[in-house]
Amino acid sequence: MKNRDADIVLEVRNVSTQYGNVVIHKNLNLQVRRGEIVALVGGSGSGKTTLLRHIVGLTEPTSGSILLFGKDLHSLDRIEKQHLMNRFGMLFQQGALFSALSVFDNIAFLLRELKQFDEPTIRKLVMHKLALVELEPQHADLLPAQLSGGMVKRVGLARALALEPELLMLDEPTAGLDPDRSKKFVELIKHLKQSLGLTVLFVTHDLDTLVSLADRVAVLADKRIITACSLQELASIEHPFIVNFFHGVSNRLEKAK
Amino acid sequence: MGAASFNIDQDAQGRKFIRLAGQWSLRAIENDFGELKNSLSPFFSDPFVHWDLQQVEQLDAAGAAILLSGWGNKVSTLVTLQPEQVELFDTLLNLSTSPINKLQYDWLSPLEGLGLRLLAFIQHLKDFIQLLGLLLIEVGYLIKRPQDFPWREFSANVYKSGVTALPVTALLGFMIGVAMAYLMARQLRVFGADIFIVNIMGLAIIRELGPVLMAVLVAGRSGSAMTAQIGVMRVTEEIDALTTMGISRILRVILPKVLGLTFIAPFLVLWTSFWAISGGALSSNIELGIGFKFFFDYLPSVVLPVNLTLSLIKGVLFGFVVTLVACHFGLRIKPNTESLSTSTTSSVVTSIVSVILVDAWFAIATRDIGV
Repeated sequence: MKNRDADIVLEVRNVSTQYGNVVIHKNLNLQVRRGEIVALVGGSGSGKTTLLRHIVGLTEPTSGSILLFGKDLHSLDRIEKQHLMNRFGMLFQQGALFSALSVFDNIAFLLRELKQFDEPTIRKLVMHKLALVELEPQHADLLPAQLSGGMVKRVGLARALALEPELLMLDEPTAGLDPDRSKKFVELIKHLKQSLGLTVLFVTHDLDTLVSLADRVAVLADKRIITACSLQELASIEHPFIVNFFHGVSNRLEKAK
Repeated sequence: MGAASFNIDQDAQGRKFIRLAGQWSLRAIENDFGELKNSLSPFFSDPFVHWDLQQVEQLDAAGAAILLSGWGNKVSTLVTLQPEQVELFDTLLNLSTSPINKLQYDWLSPLEGLGLRLLAFIQHLKDFIQLLGLLLIEVGYLIKRPQDFPWREFSANVYKSGVTALPVTALLGFMIGVAMAYLMARQLRVFGADIFIVNIMGLAIIRELGPVLMAVLVAGRSGSAMTAQIGVMRVTEEIDALTTMGISRILRVILPKVLGLTFIAPFLVLWTSFWAISGGALSSNIELGIGFKFFFDYLPSVVLPVNLTLSLIKGVLFGFVVTLVACHFGLRIKPNTESLSTSTTSSVVTSIVSVILVDAWFAIATRDIGV
């Protein structure tokens, strides 16, 4: 049992969120184990992004706690907090690249922040990250405004991976990509998960992404996680949202076979 | 799992072995690769040292890159690796790293910089004239179809850049009036020329200070806001959205701003001048004992009414220049934060400079009128 606890990378405990009179989460619980790819799904406005923002420490829940690698972000001092935050990477929906910095500088940003590497080593590491996300070295000098949507996502991913995080969080990783690109992006994430030993938590609306990427699905409805199980197990759950949702999933599972 | 470490062995034949252990990766937060590299540097320079990485628990790109840079970008035969480490080193070695362009000082670069600046200035001038032309075309269109006049945007701009500016312009005008009259009163008393305070204050404020003060304040307040707003609208493609709806961006975004501020500026000049003169009257009353009634009765007889007309014309001119410059810079903003900040700064600086240039030209052109 103790061994299992050590394997839990992320634990959300009894989290409730309330803005004014609007209750968004009520006693929400979620666990993510090492090496898993967990999808967070739910209807529009069900509070998926809010939960993700809680997890990465941008906002704080009204009550309850969130443990990343067994520690609560908000109880740590500044240095410890930064160390903990360096252990996960986040890919924002729109990429959130620093618009005034080139692709190279965007990826090198955190590596320089560490102050442990000299410039040639940083260069090598950035090129390695660019190669990981299958971008060409000549893209390094472009500015974010010159990139296409798919490239922005790739650069965002490379930046999230710069410090070799254990946990990767993706907010709508394939939103705004055409089916072909989104398929390639999913393949890329899967490949990286294998080679870098990542744990991945992602929010998505896209069923294709969900079916091809997720090991486990956490369904956010009725202000809490109503279930967190594999796609196949979803079929046996009687809940209006899941029944509706699973219809689309089962079609795709059939096709995948 | 532990932090990255190494120990040094010597076997029977006297060969030196460096055995690395622990987590050679960024994930172990105790690691400081800068220090590790420093403590390993004596062995990096020794070509006969054997390196053993078989006890390393985890090696990532960062750890590998540090070792590679120590080994001089090659893996020698004296290094013993685990199979997956071989793969990682191979990837790192095969990366096409384009050489870093070394910056060399070019003696011609100041000249080149000057030329580039001149070209940029000409480009600005061209764009500015183009904007002026576009505005004229829109005005022509509005004369043909007056029902298309953007009244809502116009009145919103009058309110935003005019009405909300009332408190700050009044406060600033009043304070400057008080300070100026106070300083001048002391000088004039020396000559017994107390009464001339009315002439000086009246002429200086109505003719010069009122319009310029208003222009500087409006450039800082509304000009910067306009530049930033147009810039963000460009970045978020709102302007493109307007254009695709068949609505002219000049008519809906630029023209109401230009007309709104140009319309309200003379009133702001009146308002600012009024408060500045009131401040002056207060100071004269306290310092020189000049009564308020006398001050305001005497004012029209020493400051000719034509000065007021000039001041209003200046107000219109300055309002027009400030908005036009603000819109010009707003339309040049590129979609990044750096460009937004430089353009907003340039907008404010350029509009204040142009206002003062126009003021100087105006002073020369009207040197025979009203004084």
